[in-house]
Amino acid sequence: MKSENSLLTDVLIIGAGPSGLSTAISLADKVNKNGEKKRIVVLDKGQEVGSHILSGTLVKEQALKELLSKEEFENLPIETDVISDHTVRLTPEGFSTLPFHPPYMDNTGNKIISLSKVCKYLADVAIQKGVEIYAGFAVSNLIYENGKVVGAKCIDTGVNKKGEKQKNFQGGSKVFAKLIILAEGSRGSLAKKVKNKFALRAKSNPQSYSIGIKEIWTAKEGNIKEGEVYHTFGYPLEGEEFGGGFIYGLGDNRVELGFAIGLDYKDPTLDPHALMQIWKQHPFVKNILEGGTLTQYGAKTIPEGGWNSISKLYIDNLLIVGDSAGFVAMPALKGVHFSVTSGMCAARCAYEAFKADDFGEATLSNYKKLIDNSRIKKELYPVRNFRAVMSEGLFVGGFKFGIQLITNGFCLLTPHMKRDSLYTQKLSNFKNKPFKERFAGKLEFDKKLTFDKDSSVFYSGTHHDEEQPTHLVVKNIEEFSRININEYGMPCQYFCPAAVYEEHIDKESNHSLKIHAENCVHCKTCDIKTPNDAITWNTPYGGDGPQYQNM
Amino acid sequence: MTTIISLMKQVPLPSQMRMGEDGLMDRTKAKSIINIDCSFALEAGLQLKSILGEAKLIVCSMGPPSFEQSLKKAISMGYDEAYLLSDRKLGGSDTFATGLAISTMIKHLGFGKGLNEDFIIVAGRQTSDGDTAHVPSQVAANLGIPQATFIEDVQFQDNHVIARRIIEGGYQILKLPKPCTLSLTPTGIPPRRPSLVGAVKANQAKINVLSVADINLSDEKIGLSGSPTIVAKVINIKSERAPVIFSKGHDSETLVENLIKDMKTGKNTLERVEKKVSKAKVAPEDYKKVDFRDGASGILTWAELANGKITRPSLELLTPAKNLATSLEEGTKVRTLLIGHNVKDLANELIYHGSDEVIIVDDERLEEYRILPFSSIFAEVIQKYNPEIALFAATTAGRELAPRTAVLTQSGVTADCTGLEIGEHIDRKNKKVFYPILESRRPTYGESKLATILGFHCPQISTARAGTFEVPKRDESLKGKITTFKPKFKDDDFITEIVKTVRGDGGLANLFEADVIVSGGRGTINDEMQLVKDLAQALKDQGINAEYASSRPMVDIGISEYARQVGQTGKTVRPKVYVAIGISGAIQHLAGMKESETIVAINTHPQESIFANSDFGIIGDYNDIVPELIRQVKEGFTFGIQKGN
Ligand SMILES: Cc1cc2nc3c(=O)[nH]c(=O)nc-3n(C[C@H](O)[C@H](O)[C@H](O)COP(=O)(O)OP(=O)(O)OC[C@H]3O[C@@H](n4cnc5c(N)ncnc54)[C@H](O)[C@@H]3O)c2cc1C
Ligand SMILES: Cc1cc2nc3c(=O)[nH]c(=O)nc-3n(C[C@H](O)[C@H](O)[C@H](O)COP(=O)(O)OP(=O)(O)OC[C@H]3O[C@@H](n4cnc5c(N)ncnc54)[C@H](O)[C@@H]3O)c2cc1C
Ligand code: SF4
Repeated sequence: MKSENSLLTDVLIIGAGPSGLSTAISLADKVNKNGEKKRIVVLDKGQEVGSHILSGTLVKEQALKELLSKEEFENLPIETDVISDHTVRLTPEGFSTLPFHPPYMDNTGNKIISLSKVCKYLADVAIQKGVEIYAGFAVSNLIYENGKVVGAKCIDTGVNKKGEKQKNFQGGSKVFAKLIILAEGSRGSLAKKVKNKFALRAKSNPQSYSIGIKEIWTAKEGNIKEGEVYHTFGYPLEGEEFGGGFIYGLGDNRVELGFAIGLDYKDPTLDPHALMQIWKQHPFVKNILEGGTLTQYGAKTIPEGGWNSISKLYIDNLLIVGDSAGFVAMPALKGVHFSVTSGMCAARCAYEAFKADDFGEATLSNYKKLIDNSRIKKELYPVRNFRAVMSEGLFVGGFKFGIQLITNGFCLLTPHMKRDSLYTQKLSNFKNKPFKERFAGKLEFDKKLTFDKDSSVFYSGTHHDEEQPTHLVVKNIEEFSRININEYGMPCQYFCPAAVYEEHIDKESNHSLKIHAENCVHCKTCDIKTPNDAITWNTPYGGDGPQYQNM
Repeated sequence: MTTIISLMKQVPLPSQMRMGEDGLMDRTKAKSIINIDCSFALEAGLQLKSILGEAKLIVCSMGPPSFEQSLKKAISMGYDEAYLLSDRKLGGSDTFATGLAISTMIKHLGFGKGLNEDFIIVAGRQTSDGDTAHVPSQVAANLGIPQATFIEDVQFQDNHVIARRIIEGGYQILKLPKPCTLSLTPTGIPPRRPSLVGAVKANQAKINVLSVADINLSDEKIGLSGSPTIVAKVINIKSERAPVIFSKGHDSETLVENLIKDMKTGKNTLERVEKKVSKAKVAPEDYKKVDFRDGASGILTWAELANGKITRPSLELLTPAKNLATSLEEGTKVRTLLIGHNVKDLANELIYHGSDEVIIVDDERLEEYRILPFSSIFAEVIQKYNPEIALFAATTAGRELAPRTAVLTQSGVTADCTGLEIGEHIDRKNKKVFYPILESRRPTYGESKLATILGFHCPQISTARAGTFEVPKRDESLKGKITTFKPKFKDDDFITEIVKTVRGDGGLANLFEADVIVSGGRGTINDEMQLVKDLAQALKDQGINAEYASSRPMVDIGISEYARQVGQTGKTVRPKVYVAIGISGAIQHLAGMKESETIVAINTHPQESIFANSDFGIIGDYNDIVPELIRQVKEGFTFGIQKGN
C-alpha cells in the first residue's frame, strides 16, 4: 500500500487558509519549544498559497496576536486601520446612514487586511518554523484502513475527460499521517464526505451558507478614503432575503467591495452576480466606482449557521477547523479570528495527542472542550439563533434578534433550519416577481461599471486544464433534467457566479445542461444550493482555479 | 545510459512583462512561469525516458537565481539534477552569447566532445520573452551535433530519435542519431503536473549554481561584449484598434460591395499616441566614422524550395535585399544561394525577381532541405563571397538555418524582422559613428513593441517575417549571373535521415500559418457553421491560405474541434485577416485574435464588443451576408490577400 509515490508525516493539514496555517504555526511552536521534531505538511490546491483565498477582510487582531510572536505580529501585512464605519440603508433611489451600529457590527479599531496576502505571510512564518507547505496540490480522497482515516491522496493528473490515463499521467501521491486536519474552508469537499460518512451532523442543524461576490477596483482619486468602511442593507434585497454589501477603502485609491446573500432564498432564478451588478448601479455605490476600473473579481461561500450548525468535529485521527467546521460569527460575517483560534485549539489538542501517542476519538474529543472554552463559544453561543431567525427576512428577523440579545440567545420560536437547497421553490410555486422582471432594465451590463458573468470571470484569473474529468458531478442526468431543468428552471445557471452552467436549447427545443467546468471559481455554491442536491463539487487538478492576488 | 538534457528558461507571465528603459527586460516585477515551449520539452524528456526505460534527466538553465524555482519544478516533475548558470556578467547577452554560454555549460558537465556520446538535448522551440527560436540551433552548432527544431512528437527506435517536425503546411519525420538537439513546439504532449512526492524531493534538492568562471568562459564572450547584436531602440506600436468602418447599405449585395470598397480604401488608423521619437540624432562632427565591414560587401539571400518551387517568402526577400543594396555603395550585389537537385531552371526566376547573381549548389542528396549540409554550405559560401548582409525568410527552415549558419560565421542573428534598412549607429561613449549598418526591426512582446536590432559582425544576418514584404515584380528583361559552387561535404552532414515529408493540406497546423481565418461563433449555430466553412473553402479554392476556426461555444456544442478554438483557452492566432462571424467579442475570445492585422466582423448587433475591436464591420444576418461574400470570393475578392504559390 505504501508505494514509492507516498509520503509519511506526523501531521497532514489540508488547506493553507488562516485555520490550517494557524494550526501549523501553533503546533510547530509547541514542538520546537520542547526541542522535539514532528513533520507537519500543509497542502493547498491553489497555485500558490493565497490563490484561492477570498475574504472581506475586516479582522479582529486579538486572535492573531495570540498566535504570533510580538515580532511576527508586528510584521503582519495590514492594509489599513478602519477610520470610519457606517451602516447604510439603501432604498431603490436613496440611502440613509444609520446613526448607530447594529449590534456586533461595529468595526472601529479593527484592521483591513488582504487575507490572501496575510496567508502568504503566515505561510512564510510557518516555513521558518520547519513546516512544509506545498501549494498546487489538491487532495481528492481520504485513505481509510479498517474504517479509520490514515491518510489522504492527491488527485491523479494527466487523465482525459473520459477518465482515461494520458501519456502525461501522474498518479496522485498518497500521504500517510498520524493526524489529519481538514482546513478546507467553506464547504470543504473532504469535510463534507467525512461528515456524511460518520454522521457527524446527527446532533446539529444543517449548515446554512451565504455567497459573497467580491470585486477590487481602482477608484478615481478622492472617491473613497483609505480606511473608510461602509456596510449596506436593504436594496436590492427585499422581504425574506438576507444579505447586504460592503465597501472598504484601501490605499492607492483601491477599493474592495462585495455583496453577500443568504442561500436560503426562494426564487429559483435569483442571480447573486447580477444582484451585485444591480447594487453597483445604486447611486451610493456608483458614486464611488464611477471613473474607476475593475481589477479583480471572485466569489466564495461563507458558512453562517452559527453555533447550532456546528457538527461534531473529531473522529479517530482527524480534526476539522475553520470554515469547514462552521466557525463564523454571523451577524458580523467574521471568520478569520475563529479560524485562528480553532487552529490553536487543534494544535493544542494535537500536541497532547502526540504526548499520549494516541489519536483516537477519545483523546481528540479534547478539541471540543478547548473550543467550548475559547472565544468561539463565547461569541457564537449568545447569537446562536441569529441566522435561524434571519431566514425569516431582515425585518422580522432583526426584531427577533433584538429580543434574543436581551435574553442571551434564548428564543422561544427557534425555527427549524433546513438545507439551503430545500428553500429554492419550484417555478410553479414561486409566486413573487421572478428575478428578471423584478430588475427589468437593470440587467444590461455596460462593461464599465457592470459586467456580464463571462467578463467578470476573466478578472478572477481562473484557469483549468481542459483535459480532465469534469470536477462538477451531476448525480443523475435524467433526474437533473426532470427536476432541475423542468421543475426549477435550472437554478444553477443563475446562482453560479462564474457562468459554469448553461442551459442549452437545441433545434428541437430540447433543454439540456452544458457544464463549462473551466470557468469555476471554487465558491461551492452549486454543491450547496442545487435542488435535489444534484451537483457535487469535487476538487479539480491542483493549481487550477482562480488566481486571486489580494482578495 | 542515455542522458537527457533539458534546456529550460523561466519567463515572466506574458501579461505582466515590462521592458526597461535600456531595451533590456526587467524581469523583477512579473510573476514567473516556465516558458511554455520549455515545459513541453521537459515533458518530451520524461517521455523519452519512459521509452528508453532508463535515462538520466538533467535540466539546465541560464538566468538569475530566481530561476531556481522553475528548476525545482522540473525536479518535481521527475528530473534528477538541475544546473543553473547564473552570473551578473551574463546580463545583456543576446542569443549568440546565450547559445555559447549554454553550450559551454553543457561541455563543462562533460558532454559535447564527440559524436559518439550518449545524450539528447531537448529545448523549447522559442521563449515568450525573446521569441527568436535561435538558441537550440546555436547550442547544437556550438556542440557540433545534429539538430531538429519545431518538433511536436518524439519517439525512439533502433537507437535513433524519430522526430516529427512541423513545416509549412505539413510535417516531416526525421531520424536522428545520438547525440542531438531537439526543440519542441507547444503542440505535443502537455507537461505533466508535478507529484507531491516530486515536490518534496524538489524542496530538498540542491540546485547546482555555476558561475561564468566555473565553466571557464571568458568575460568578453558573454554579456554585452560577447553579443554581436544590440537592441538599439524600442518603440510602442499600435495599442488599440482605430474605430471600425461599418459597411453602408441595406441589402446584402450592397453591404458586401461596400465592404470590398472600404477594404480597398484602407482602414482607419489611430493617431500615433507614442511620443515622436526625438529628431533624428545627428552625430557631432568630431565623432570618428567607423566602417566595421572590413571589406565585406553585398547581400546574400537564400532561395528556399518546396515541392520543387521557390517559396514565396524567399521571393519576398528580394524586395528588402534590393532596397538595401540601393542604399549601400553603388555596385552592391544581391546574390542568392540556390541549393537543390536539378534546379538550374529556377535560377532565372530569381534573376527575374531581382537577384544579381545566383549561386547554385546541385547535389542529389540535397533535393530536400536538411540543416546540416545547408548550414555548412552557407558557411562556405559566406567565407568565399564575404557578404555584409545575409537574409533568410523566417520560415521553419529559415529560423533554424540562419542561427546555425551564424554560429559557424560568428555572427548575430535578428529573428522575424518586419523592417530592414540601412542606418547608422552613434556610440556616444566612444565618440564613434558606425555606418553603414543594417537596422533590423522586429515586433516583440506580443506585437506591442517594435525593436531595432543592430549587428556589428559581418555578415549581419536577419530572418524576415513571411508576408511582410511584397514579391518584386517579375521582369524577364533582368539579367544576372549564374554560378555553380562545389562545397566540401562531410559525411557527418548526412547522418540525419529524412524519413518522410508531407506537405499539402496541413489542416489544423495551418491555423497558425493561415493568411485568412474565417471564424464562426454562436451566431452561426443554425447551419452548424456550414457557411463559415464554405467561405474558408472558397478562399482556399482561390489559392488563398485560409482556414476556419470558431469561438468556444461552438467547440462545446461539438460543431467545431477544440484545435480550432480561438481565445484565451484556445489558440492565439495572428492572421492577416480575421473574419469574425456571429461572434460577440468576449474578452476571452479577443485575447486570442486581437493581434490580427485586419479584423472584419459580421454581426446582427451593432453594439457588440467585436465591432469595437474590428477594422471593418457589416451589421447584418450572416445567413444573408456570407453567401454574398462567397459569391464575391468566387469572383476574385480575397480580402486583399495575394494568392500564394
Ligand atoms: C465575501 C467574504 C467576506 C468575508 N469577510 C470577512 C471579514 O470581514 N472578516 C473575517 O474575519 N472573515 C471574513 N470572511 C470569512 C473568512 O474569509 C473565513 O472565515 C476564513 O477565510 C476561513 O478560513 P479557513 O482557513 O477555514 O478557510 P479558507 O480561507 O477558505 O482556506 C481554505 C484553503 O484550503 C484549500 N483547500 C480546500 N479544499 C482543499 C483540498 N481538497 N485540497 C487542497 N486544498 C484545499 C483552499 O484552496 C483554501 O486555500 C469573509 C468571507 C467571504 C467569502
Ligand atoms: C475562463 C474562460 C475562458 C474562456 N475561453 C474562451 C476561449 O478560449 N475562446 C472563446 O471563444 N471563448 C472563451 N470563453 C467564453 C467567452 O467568454 C464567451 O462566452 C464566448 O467567446 C462567446 O462566444 P460567441 O461570441 O460565439 O457567442 P455569443 O457571445 O453568444 O455571441 C453570439 C453572437 O452572434 C451574433 N449573432 C446571432 N445571430 C446572428 C446572425 N444570424 N448573424 C450574425 N450574427 C449573429 C450575436 O449578436 C452575438 O454577438 C471563455 C470564458 C471563460 C470564463
Ligand atoms: S461551478 Fe459551483 S463552485 Fe464553481 S463557480 Fe459555479 S457555483 Fe461556484
